[in-house]
Amino acid sequence: MAQFLSQAPQQIVNGLTLGSVYALIALGYSMVYGILQLLNFAHGDVYMVGAFIGFGVLTVFLPDAGPLLPAALVILLMLVAAMIGCGFLGVAIEWFAYRPLRNAPRIAPLISALGMSILLQNSVQLTLTAQFRVYHTEKLIPISAGVDLGPAHLSLVRVLVIGSAIVMMVGLAYLVNRTRLGRAMRAVALDREAAAMMGVNVDQVIVLTFFIGSALAGGSGVLTGLVFGRIWHTMGFNAGLKGFTAAVIGGIGNIPGAMLGGLLIGLLEAFATGFISSTYSDVIVFVVLILFLLVRPRGLLGATGAQKV
Amino acid sequence: MNPPEALPEKFGTDEWVAQVDARRAGGGWIGKLGARWGALPISWRFLGLLLVGAIIPLLIHSDYVLRVIGTAWLFATLAVGLNVVVGYAGLLDLGFIAFYGLGAYTYALLSSGHFNVHLPSWLALLIVAGVGMAFGLLLGSPSLRLLGDYLAIVTLGFGLVFVQLGLNLDRLNVPWSNTPLNITGGSNGIINLDPLHFFGFSLSTVANYYYALLVWLAIVLLVIYRLNQSHFGRAWRAMREDPLAAEAMGMPTRRLKLFSFATGAAVAGVTGAIFAAWQQSVFPNNFDTNSLINLYAMVVLGGVGSLPGVSLGAGILTVVPELLRSPELSRVIFYMGLALALVFLIRPRRNGLAVLVGVVGLGLILRLAVQAVAPGLVSPPTIEVAAVSISSGFERASQSFGVLVQRWILLPKDPNTAGNLAYVLLVPALLAWARMKPSRWRTLLLVPLLYLLSFVWETRLSAEPAITRLLLIGTLLVILMIFRPQGLLGARRVEIA
Repeated sequence: MAQFLSQAPQQIVNGLTLGSVYALIALGYSMVYGILQLLNFAHGDVYMVGAFIGFGVLTVFLPDAGPLLPAALVILLMLVAAMIGCGFLGVAIEWFAYRPLRNAPRIAPLISALGMSILLQNSVQLTLTAQFRVYHTEKLIPISAGVDLGPAHLSLVRVLVIGSAIVMMVGLAYLVNRTRLGRAMRAVALDREAAAMMGVNVDQVIVLTFFIGSALAGGSGVLTGLVFGRIWHTMGFNAGLKGFTAAVIGGIGNIPGAMLGGLLIGLLEAFATGFISSTYSDVIVFVVLILFLLVRPRGLLGATGAQKV
Repeated sequence: MNPPEALPEKFGTDEWVAQVDARRAGGGWIGKLGARWGALPISWRFLGLLLVGAIIPLLIHSDYVLRVIGTAWLFATLAVGLNVVVGYAGLLDLGFIAFYGLGAYTYALLSSGHFNVHLPSWLALLIVAGVGMAFGLLLGSPSLRLLGDYLAIVTLGFGLVFVQLGLNLDRLNVPWSNTPLNITGGSNGIINLDPLHFFGFSLSTVANYYYALLVWLAIVLLVIYRLNQSHFGRAWRAMREDPLAAEAMGMPTRRLKLFSFATGAAVAGVTGAIFAAWQQSVFPNNFDTNSLINLYAMVVLGGVGSLPGVSLGAGILTVVPELLRSPELSRVIFYMGLALALVFLIRPRRNGLAVLVGVVGLGLILRLAVQAVAPGLVSPPTIEVAAVSISSGFERASQSFGVLVQRWILLPKDPNTAGNLAYVLLVPALLAWARMKPSRWRTLLLVPLLYLLSFVWETRLSAEPAITRLLLIGTLLVILMIFRPQGLLGARRVEIA
C-alpha cells in the first residue's frame, strides 16, 4: 500500500500524458463516427504518418550541430506540418475510399478502410523501412527541465504534451460549439438529410470533419514522438485500437466523452503498467472495453437515443 | 393447367441484374461450357470437384505441390467459415484468425508433451470446436447487443490480445507454485505435437494431411451449404439486408448473429487444430494481423457471400504468391498482366494497343535522352542470363526478358531513393486517376502512369516481395469495394436506399 501511495502521483502524470495522446486520437474517431457512422480503421495509421512527418521536420531543423531555430519554434513547426499534412491525407482517404461508398452496405466502407490502413502502413514500410526512428527530443528540451511535485516529477516535455493537447481540445470545443461550421457539423451528425435540406453543404462538412479529425491525430503523433521517443510503421494499429476504446468508453460520437475516455484509458494503462505488469496492460484495457460494453454500452456520456429507421 | 414456371436461377436477384449477368456469361465456348456446368445438379458439381481434388495426389508426387494445394484447401475452409459471419450474417469479425489460433493452441495443449496430455484426436477436435464456440459466444454476446461496428473493434482487440498472450503466457506467475507456469511456450511456441490419429490410424505424410484437409473442407462446405439453404440461411440474409426490418418481423436477430459468429469460430478452431497437427507445432506469429488481412482479401476477392467464390479466392491467393517467388518469373507475370489488362479492359481495343505502344515508346525515348545527356545516371542490367547447361529454357527466356526490360527502363544508380520518390508520386496519381471520369485524357494519362509503375516495380517493388504483396492486397480491398463489391463470383446486390 505504501508503495502504491508513493508511486501513484508519478503514474497519474504518466497516465495524463498517455491519456492526452489517446484523447486526441479518440476525437477523430468519434467525430467521423458521429457524422458518417463509419469506423475509420485508417485513423491510427494517419496518426503514424503524423509522427513521421514530425520526424522529418525535426531531422531537417535539428542537424547534429544543434537546432537551427529556437526549440519552441521547431516544435511548433513540427506540429503544424504534421497537422496540415495529416489533414490533407485524411481528406484524400475520404475522397478516395469512403465517398464512393456513402450509400453502400455498412460492411463495404469498413473493408475499404481496412485496405487503406494496410496501404498506409506498407507504403511507409516500403519507403522508410521498418526500423525504429528516434525523436531526439533531449536536444530541444533538456531532460532535467521540469517541476518536482514532491513524489512525482513533471518534466517539461510532459507539460508541453498535456498543454498542447488541452489547447487543441479547447480549440475543437470552440469550433464545434461556437462557429457556423460547428453548428453545421452537429446538424449533419443529427440528421444528414434534414441538414442538407436546410442548406448545409453536407459533403463540405464531411471533408472538413475528416480534415480536423486527421489533423488532431497527426498532432497527437508528433506529441507521442516527443514524449516517448520511438516511432515505427505499425505504431498506429495499437494506438488506434486504444483511441477507439477511449471513444467507446466516453460514448461514441460525443466529443467531451472522447476526451474523458482518452484520459481514463491513459490512466488505466499507466496504472496497469506500473502496478501489475507492462506485458498485460493491453489485455487489461481490452477486458475493460468488454466489461464496459456489458455494463454501459452507450459509454459514459453517450445519449441512449432510439435508432431511427 | 400450365406447367409451373421455373424459378429464376438466382432467387432474390433483380431481374435487370440477372439479364446483365446472362449477357455477360454468354458467348464463346467458355461461356457455353460455364452454362453447361451451371446446369448440372449442385451435388454432381460438388462431387466432381471433390473427385478432381482427390486424384491430384495420385498424379503429382511432389510434396511441395501437395503442400501448396493443401494450404489452399486449408484457407478455403477458413474462408468458407469466415463467409458465414461476413457474407451471410454481415458481421465484420476481425478476430477470426484468433479463433483459428485458439483452435491450434487448444489442440497443441491437448495432444503434446507440453503438459503430457495425449487425448485421442476425435475427442481433441470436439473439445477444440466447443472451445471455439464458447469463445465466440463470450466475445459476441456483449458486442452484438449494439451495432455491428462494436463487434469489429472488439474482435480486432481479441486478435491483438491473443497474439500478445501467446507471446507472454510462457512465464505466468501463479500463487500455488514457485516456478512460473509456461502455458504457450512464448515466441518459441509449442513443438512436437501428436499427429492426428483416429482409431489406430495415424496421419503422417503430406498426402495424408492433404486428404484430411480436403475431407474437412468438403464437410464444412456441405454443412454450410445446407445451413444456408435452411431457414437459418434465409434469416441471416434477411438480417444482413435490413436488421431492423428483420427484427420487426419477429426474427431473433441477436441469437441469429451469435449463432453465425459461433459457427464461424468453431470452423476456424477445428481448421486451426488440423493446421497445428500438420505443422506439428504452433507459434504466435502464425496468427497475426497479416494472416487475417490475407484471409479477408480471399473472401472479398472471391465474392462475399458466395461459397464457390470464397473458395476460388482462397485458391488464387494461396497459389499465386507461390508462383511469384522467383523474381524473374514474377516480372514476366507482372508485365504480362499489365499488357493483358490493357488490351482487354480498355475499349475500343485499339486504344489499349495504342497505350501499350505509347508506354514502350516513352521508355525508349527517355532511355535514349538520358543516355545522350547524362550517361552516368543509368546503370546496366543487373540480371544475367544463366548458361544453357545449368538452367531450363523457360528460366533463360524469363531472364532474357528481364534483361530486355532493364535495358528499356531507366535503371538508376541508386534505385532505392529514386524508386521511393517515384512511389510517393505514383500512389496519389493512381488514386486520382482511378476516380477520374472516363475520357480521352484519362486514357492518355495511362501512358506516363504505367511507365512510372514499371519504374517503381523495377526499382523497389520487386526487391521487397513481402511488402509488395501486402500493398497489392490493400489496394485490392479498396478497389474491389469501390468498383466490384461483389468480387469475382458473388451476386450483385441491388441496393434500395
